[in-house]
Amino acid sequence: MNDLIEQALLAPLELLGRHLLEVLPNLVAMGILLLGGLLAAWLSNVSVERLLRVIGLDHLSNRLGVTTALLRAGIKTDPSRLIGRTLYWAVVLFASIAALSALNLAPINQFAHSMLAYVPHLVTAGVILLAGYVCSNFASQAILIAAVNAGLPPARLIANCSRWGLQLLAGAMALEQLGIAQHIVVVGFGITWGGIVLAAAIAFGFGATDLAKEFLDRRVVRRNRSGEMDDLRHW
Amino acid sequence: MSLDRTPLAPATDTCLREIGSADIVVGIPSYNNADTVGHVVRAVSAGLAKYFPDRRAVLVNSDGGSSDDTSGVVARTAVDYRHLLIADRQSVLHRIVTPYHGAPGKGSAIRTIFEIAARLRAEACAVVDADLRSISPEWIDMLLRPILDEGYDYVAPFYLRHKYDGTITNSLAYPLTRALYGKRIRQPIGGEFGFSGALASHYLDQHVWESEVARFGIDIWMTTEAIASGANVCQSFLGAKIHNPKDPAADLSAMLRQVVGSLFASMEQHTGVWSRIEESHPVPVFGFPYEVGVEPVHVNVEGMVSHFRQGLRDLAPIWKQLLAEDTMQRLYDANHREQAACIADDLWVRLVYDAAAAYHHQILPREHLLKSLTPLYLGRTASFVLATQGLTSAEAEQTIEQLCRTFETHKPYLIERWNQRTRQPAVSASSPRTGASAGGDHERPD
Repeated sequence: MNDLIEQALLAPLELLGRHLLEVLPNLVAMGILLLGGLLAAWLSNVSVERLLRVIGLDHLSNRLGVTTALLRAGIKTDPSRLIGRTLYWAVVLFASIAALSALNLAPINQFAHSMLAYVPHLVTAGVILLAGYVCSNFASQAILIAAVNAGLPPARLIANCSRWGLQLLAGAMALEQLGIAQHIVVVGFGITWGGIVLAAAIAFGFGATDLAKEFLDRRVVRRNRSGEMDDLRHW
Repeated sequence: MSLDRTPLAPATDTCLREIGSADIVVGIPSYNNADTVGHVVRAVSAGLAKYFPDRRAVLVNSDGGSSDDTSGVVARTAVDYRHLLIADRQSVLHRIVTPYHGAPGKGSAIRTIFEIAARLRAEACAVVDADLRSISPEWIDMLLRPILDEGYDYVAPFYLRHKYDGTITNSLAYPLTRALYGKRIRQPIGGEFGFSGALASHYLDQHVWESEVARFGIDIWMTTEAIASGANVCQSFLGAKIHNPKDPAADLSAMLRQVVGSLFASMEQHTGVWSRIEESHPVPVFGFPYEVGVEPVHVNVEGMVSHFRQGLRDLAPIWKQLLAEDTMQRLYDANHREQAACIADDLWVRLVYDAAAAYHHQILPREHLLKSLTPLYLGRTASFVLATQGLTSAEAEQTIEQLCRTFETHKPYLIERWNQRTRQPAVSASSPRTGASAGGDHERPD
């Protein structure tokens, strides 16, 4: 009877206990990592947000039109807070992956490694998109002002085309970085861009000969738009 | 004096060591002016011989790499003093023809002239443009005599010009300088100046030589810096200013950007000076004023109005960021009603003051802000031309005088806008702005 009890009840319990004792340090490590990660995430969120406010990132974003762009996209948070929150969730993500790895289970480890390997691509793609957005806004504003000062009637069209062209380029580069349909993106972008340039060149050459002549006249001879020379001295 | 010396060409260094010192330095900045510079050199040489025969003088041509042999013309030009009835020339006039270093532009050329004046320990200096057709030997006397004999530090020119000649001066540089610094200097960006050796050294010590000042901004910077540094300033009557037809490649937008950029940058630097000044005072004018006929100027008002209207249509989102809401509304109202551009005096003053405050608060990238002002300036110029079409030059001058008074009376508005803190400037076009009536939350100027 005693043997039966030992074999049927105590042995599995002992085995379970041994397994638990084996896993317990991992569980404790997982808990510590999670708690530590949450604390680190909160600290980095608060400190980075304050630092960015001190160095005037929000003001700079206003000037570069990033705040306006965020508002247009429905994000009412200011850039300092947004970066702080993004950092918070990035640290939480890292801590979660590290905590799962602490369990030392093969499938979870594999998943965690593949997630970690993809993170640099995600970050790079995000940076490319952000830089593309900021650069396209800055460039389109500069182009708009220059085109108006040069007296080109389609100034807004030119500025919008430059903005969308740059954003399209940034989008294609980001997708390539993420490895999403790499060849299709590159080829598609090449075909679209080449097509636009070719179409514009043909249209300008055939359909707008007079406009092209007038434009070159104005640029080269520096006539003003009514064709009359003006000898006003602004200086 | 600054320890960082402006680099000079080795041949210029050698030449300066040979000369040692001089009483007077006259500088001629040039770039492709071979057809006019000979006349300028003759006038300067004759002026120095006739009015300062016993002074050691040096003529400096600071050239920006001309391809038309401008420097050769300067070196070769001879003056027949007997025909000018000058018999008692005692000192030899040294000539230095040198290239300049730094950003291409008049500012870098003048910096080299300052450096040479400082090394020669000159007592008085003058700068004259190389494209002048109306310069006479008397100009040299009028630019240098107040420095040498009357104790002035800075002499600005006083010309007779056509009412439409120098519209940046008339609508912006003169009224704004006068309202800010309280000195009625009629031609603050005239191109010809006299200044003391001490002031030349002061100019050299300023760290502005990589900015707009290095290009077209030098003239207005010299004037504002002289006033703000407390220099004793005066004006000299020089008669009519006639220079070569304008360079067709000259870009108005770039010129305006550099002049206005230089003005606004000086405002940033000297806030403590101009914010305390409440009224303007006349500046002494030397010389014998007389009436002269000036060259007629043809103006294409339609072109300017069309340019302005395109700006109002296409640049409105940018202007909304830098102008106060009511200024923008007035701009719309005035131009919906009128056939031609209509920027009245008080509206123009508000536009300029709003732009200055926006520059100070860096609401936009400064390059964009300055360039976006071109259509507004053209609109104002068109309004001025239309308002003064049938007027004589003297009557047009009264109109400019009226504009100056408007600049002065609206100065509290500028100070208020300047001191407003920007919280969330122009996040969206429809966001409420802190308008002219906003009170409190001010930062004091230094």
